Amino acid sequence: MLRIAIIGCGKVADQHVGAIHRIPSCRIVSVCDRELLMAKQLCERFHISECFSDVQEMLQSTHPQVVHITTPPQSHFQLAKQCLEFGSHVYLEKPFTVTAEEAEELIEFAERRGLKMTAGHNYQFTLEMLEMRRLAKAGFLGGKPVHLESYWSYDLGDISYVGPVLGNPAHWVRRLPGQLFHNIISHGLAKLVEFLDDELTEIIVTAHQSSQLRLLGAKEVLDELRVLIRDKSDTTALFCFSTQVKNLNQLRIYGPSGSITADIIAGTVVRKENRAYKSYLTYFLPPLKDAREYLRNASVNVINFVRQRLHQDFGMKELIQRFYQSIQGETPVPVPYREIILTARLMDQIFAQIYTDNEAQECHNEVNRVHSDGRLPVARGGITDRTRRSASS
Amino acid sequence: MTLKYIVSPADRILVTGSSGFIGVKVVEILLEYGFANLGCFIRPSSRLDRLKERLEQCPSGKNVELIKGDLLSRDDCRKAAEGVSLVLHLAAGMEKSFAGAFMNSALATRNLMDAFLEYGQPKRFVNVSSFAVYSTLNLKRGAILDETCPLEEAPQERCDAYGFGKLKQEELVKQYGERDEMPYVIVRPGVVFGPGKRDLSGRVGIDTFGIFMHLGGSNHLPLTFVDNCAEAIVLAGLTPGINAETFNVVDDESLTSRQFLRAYRKKTGRFSISIPYPVTCALCLLWDKYAKWSNYQLPAVFNRRRCSAEWKGNRYSNRKLRELLRWQPRISMDKAMEAFLGQFEAKSR
Ligand SMILES: NC(=O)c1ccc[n+]([C@@H]2O[C@H](COP(=O)([O-])OP(=O)(O)OC[C@H]3O[C@@H](n4cnc5c(N)ncnc54)[C@H](OP(=O)(O)O)[C@@H]3O)[C@@H](O)[C@H]2O)c1
Repeated sequence: MLRIAIIGCGKVADQHVGAIHRIPSCRIVSVCDRELLMAKQLCERFHISECFSDVQEMLQSTHPQVVHITTPPQSHFQLAKQCLEFGSHVYLEKPFTVTAEEAEELIEFAERRGLKMTAGHNYQFTLEMLEMRRLAKAGFLGGKPVHLESYWSYDLGDISYVGPVLGNPAHWVRRLPGQLFHNIISHGLAKLVEFLDDELTEIIVTAHQSSQLRLLGAKEVLDELRVLIRDKSDTTALFCFSTQVKNLNQLRIYGPSGSITADIIAGTVVRKENRAYKSYLTYFLPPLKDAREYLRNASVNVINFVRQRLHQDFGMKELIQRFYQSIQGETPVPVPYREIILTARLMDQIFAQIYTDNEAQECHNEVNRVHSDGRLPVARGGITDRTRRSASS
Repeated sequence: MTLKYIVSPADRILVTGSSGFIGVKVVEILLEYGFANLGCFIRPSSRLDRLKERLEQCPSGKNVELIKGDLLSRDDCRKAAEGVSLVLHLAAGMEKSFAGAFMNSALATRNLMDAFLEYGQPKRFVNVSSFAVYSTLNLKRGAILDETCPLEEAPQERCDAYGFGKLKQEELVKQYGERDEMPYVIVRPGVVFGPGKRDLSGRVGIDTFGIFMHLGGSNHLPLTFVDNCAEAIVLAGLTPGINAETFNVVDDESLTSRQFLRAYRKKTGRFSISIPYPVTCALCLLWDKYAKWSNYQLPAVFNRRRCSAEWKGNRYSNRKLRELLRWQPRISMDKAMEAFLGQFEAKSR
């Protein structure tokens, strides 16, 4: 029976507890939050016996084998290190750390101590992502991907979350180097990184503020992001994060002989062979094949629902379960460390271009100017030395 | 005139949630009663159009101080509580997540009470709670629900994050009352309605898949018009001799769910289907059973506790409110409905 602890008792902790409860052979022994009342409310609702406001005290009195850290990212590095020093394996919510440097240091530290870590990239383990991975491995693409596209949308409609973030420059989200993007985009980037080389040779970033966000009144927060990436072997990738496009969370992979689209919202995996049809058949057969694909997906989803495999939180449960299995020595860690680090490096790069580089600063100024002249602001920059070094190391 | 109240017009009064649906009215009524030394707590992201409009309309409104902050910050609470004699605490967590609701209801209240006790001149803390804290599981259909009714024991099982936050908030207030002798009063409004709030209460029914399902049948609704409710809150803050009392707030005249929906449909032309209580009950039980059996593949949002609390149907009393606070509704139900329906476009024929 694995002994589990949770640090940080906010909204995400509830999701973790729900998922852990569905996994056999593990038990939540304690929870901890700097704010004891928060820890208490979680304990009370889920009948967990021990709650703490001090991490060291929790570690020492309940000896958890695994600690889930679901606190704001600024605290991830220090808390994870503390748990690793104590000898616990660590599940760190996304974004893994604030910078890639911290991510590398943590992973190295964990490995030296023979401990395991994972990042909260739970959307990598949804049913459709598992199926996409299976197809890619089975060779459906016909080789290394030529091009990838990851779309990640985030609805600002419910302002109970963004309202306080936008209204308060001291909010922890606003203090992240990548602000709103920093807290959200790692899911969408992790999907690309899985299929990219370690060495990224080009990263072009453009970001701006949507008119909706402008109306909500936070000047310096950007919420529309596009990134174009090329790796060493010339696989290209497009990342699109948008608050204006609604309900679009997709990964599209284009290979030499086929393409696959995994839709995280619809739970579908649509395959398409790259083949030509004679004459007018090109107008009849491909749509029919697409229709068949969607029908197949709908029936798979119904069957999975009836068999209780389709669960809204499937990805998180699957990731946690795989992580626990890796701890028990059966399998490798679910999210390869290479992917965690590359995601963090990519994020560093993106934020450097849009928020801190001189060039990006210009863009940022332009963001504030753009609305009067109607032009779209574009921040452009090739890969910097820092990324080249980190990519090749 | 003000001698009959526990605070004088010179005393500082703090209103939290002051830009909210009920808060704006509370501020307006306080000004009307002659209390202008007001601090209105707002968040930097709060929408202020309604509050500012009211303050501009009232001559003494210009003296009102808007205090920007977040009750989750102890510093902001201190800033707001300095020299305050009376707190009318309306801010609440409306989030769907338990943690979010708990934070903005219970945690925020704890911060505010700490600051009030340390930096204020506490004469009273009025905690605005809700009917969501009651459990009617053991109450017969049609029985009277009053201040003595049992509180919900299992809000998690009821899947009601808001109710959970409000219950924990009340618990803390009572604890501060007993432990720190903080003078307090609890006000529990029923369904507050009026211009500024377009959504129908869940007690009438639920809007799902584009259809409005009427679940309230011929149940009486615990309605209170926003002006009437706001005045009850103000009186709970001012009236002497009611320390540690709890007051339910409902108007004198009640409407059944069917009457309310009929008036609404007549105005808006919305389509609805009615589901009788036994069917609602059976569906809730079935949903709950499936949710548990399937390890929460479906969240247990429909369950026997919610079904009982929202759709079983009880009667409500405002006797205590009338007797101890000498409150009476300032707006009749006819006028209230007229004002409520006035915010909707008439249906096009
Ligand atoms: N409406 C009803 O039918 C009803 C029924 C029974 C009881 N009540 C109670 O009556 C009170 C007022 O309700 P309402 O309908 O007027 O709700 P509302 O319009 O949603 O107002 C709630 C207010 O609380 C503020 N708030 C939330 N978290 C805060 C925080 N951390 N710091 C500072 N302010 C915070 C909100 O600020 P923002 O504007 O910035 O979001 C908002 O102004 C609540 O306590 C509610 O539980 C209402």
